[in-house]
Amino acid sequence: MSVLPPDIDSASFAAFLEELRGAVGADWVWSGDADMFPYRDSFSPVWNTAEERHASAAVAPEDVEQVSAVVKIARKHRVPLYPISTGKNFGYGGPSPNVNGSVVLDLKRMNRVIEVNTDRNYCLVEPGVSYFDLQRAVDATGNKVMLDCPDPGWGSPIGNSLERGVGYTMPHFRDHFGAHCGMEVVLPDGEIMRTGMGALPGSETWQEYPYGFGPDPAGLFAQGNFGVVTKMGFRLMPMPEYYRTGLITVPRRRDFIKLVNHVNFLSDSGLIGEVEYGSPLSALMGNPDFFVLATKTGGPSDAEMDAAASAAGLPSFQVELQFFGPQKATLENWNYAKDRILSDIPGAAAVDGDHFTLPASEDQLNNTTQPWQTSIKRRRSLGVPSLGAWKIVRDDGHVGFFPVLPRTGEAVFEVQRVLGDAMKEFPTLPPFFNALTMPLFWHTHTFQMVFAPSIKHDDPQHNAITHASMKKCVAVAAEHGWGDYRAAPIYQDDVSNTYSFNNHILRRFHEQLKDAIDPDGIIAPGRGGIWPRRFRA
Amino acid sequence: MITRREAIKWGVVVPAIAASSQAAFARAPQGLDAFLLDTRYVENLPAEHAAITAIRFAGDVTRPWFDTLDHAWRRRGYVLGGITGSDALFVLEVLAQQHGRRVVSQQQLGEKNERGVYPVSWVIAPVHPSVTA
Repeated sequence: MSVLPPDIDSASFAAFLEELRGAVGADWVWSGDADMFPYRDSFSPVWNTAEERHASAAVAPEDVEQVSAVVKIARKHRVPLYPISTGKNFGYGGPSPNVNGSVVLDLKRMNRVIEVNTDRNYCLVEPGVSYFDLQRAVDATGNKVMLDCPDPGWGSPIGNSLERGVGYTMPHFRDHFGAHCGMEVVLPDGEIMRTGMGALPGSETWQEYPYGFGPDPAGLFAQGNFGVVTKMGFRLMPMPEYYRTGLITVPRRRDFIKLVNHVNFLSDSGLIGEVEYGSPLSALMGNPDFFVLATKTGGPSDAEMDAAASAAGLPSFQVELQFFGPQKATLENWNYAKDRILSDIPGAAAVDGDHFTLPASEDQLNNTTQPWQTSIKRRRSLGVPSLGAWKIVRDDGHVGFFPVLPRTGEAVFEVQRVLGDAMKEFPTLPPFFNALTMPLFWHTHTFQMVFAPSIKHDDPQHNAITHASMKKCVAVAAEHGWGDYRAAPIYQDDVSNTYSFNNHILRRFHEQLKDAIDPDGIIAPGRGGIWPRRFRA
Repeated sequence: MITRREAIKWGVVVPAIAASSQAAFARAPQGLDAFLLDTRYVENLPAEHAAITAIRFAGDVTRPWFDTLDHAWRRRGYVLGGITGSDALFVLEVLAQQHGRRVVSQQQLGEKNERGVYPVSWVIAPVHPSVTA
């Protein structure tokens, strides 16, 4: 499906592409259906419908100077660019733009790992560097540092952090944008800017002190459209000496509230890495009577759930804990966690899990020796990039809604009930929200829960249900103060609309900034719900 | 599951290759450089055939990617054939696109399972001038 950028005819578009070829080389500019197919969102719930967003062309510059040249050409022709790093971001729009006819600015050729510093524990990379690429660079240092990577790990540290993606190791590394330090950005007029200490000529602390002097604009470039990020620094964790796991179970439903508070304490004190909450009662979901109970409108009572757990001889909830550090410290921290929780929650129990020296062997990464049915995905827990997560993908993919909620057991129970009831409007969907749905503790200081209905390329009716359920989830969650953290372009306006304090002043502020530096919308108009004047009119 | 007998020494791959009219194949007269075999769907095939290496995996593309393909696809040439699950092919296709390569031929070999995954034979070949042989 060939499309043109807004407000431009075919002849002008051809001239624009010719200028791009002059800037980056003819082999690195693409247009036409076959070449543009990879830039469609293959997980789109509006696949092959009028709502699907299509790019008109793609251009792949080799370095920051070429990026600057491309931006200047686009500005001259008033053609919107849609920057991507490696273009994965599946479930959140993939490489597809907000505006039909945008030109994808594909940064895949900028794939240099500029530095891995194992004395000061940081790296500096370009956008086309994948986590696999970075792992190779870390391997070359003798594995002196550990990555914190998303799952799957084929995306780029820059792309993932700019989407506020997450990893699975220690708290201060899991928030990938929070773990960045220093960036280089090409602004909508083609100027090249460096943030923090990068603005000080001769500084050697660009990747150590993020702020420099004065306001730090770095946050504007995450889920934003104020520039094209061409370099970023990230903090790296020194390779821990040892890794240890443990399991805590609690017998009753209400015990989950105390369990969460204890885990919050352990995490915020820096004693544990990412945790996996779960419910052993999930094993009962194949029982029709239990399934009805767990998905009951208005939610089951605590007594009903406790009776079911008691009858099955199963604990109500569990948490898998992970410890990193010196061997003795991991043991002391695990003993402390056990003492703290077991002494406070009657009937709580603990099981010692795998523990070993890092870096892990291939067998240890395969995670087959835990003495319980584990939910820990060992590779990602140890920062090792993997593609194994594709085993969980159903049909032709899915879209993701991950509401941010308070880090409390009460909030988890409320989300289970409210969104479980709301989604009953879509009876063909799996019961994503039920009495056993657990929070994700991926971001450092908050919970999220997951709604990820599938899509099928050959079933528009199925996709329409997915699409409608996504919009309803966004709306109902927002009514209760739970906001989405990341969204595909087709949902970004919906999500942005929910962040509406004081008559949408946050969005109006962003619009003022956008109008000031990019009124024609050269950089990703609409991204993050931010539209420049040209497209608001 | 595709048996050894059914495969008849890459018989399910070769028709897919023969059916391709993609120009990419004209640039790869030497044929395939490697086979990728998903052991969820292919059993007991030899480690190589006609001096072409077979790489085995069980649905998770991580090791073939990190150990072999990531290196091979940075260089010119390298035509890869495979019999895998459609989920693995999706991962490979996305990685291939980023490296100037495309799925130039594919053939569904069985029904979808409950997750919508089915066995498929395919060929991935270089198409971008920066990596064509």
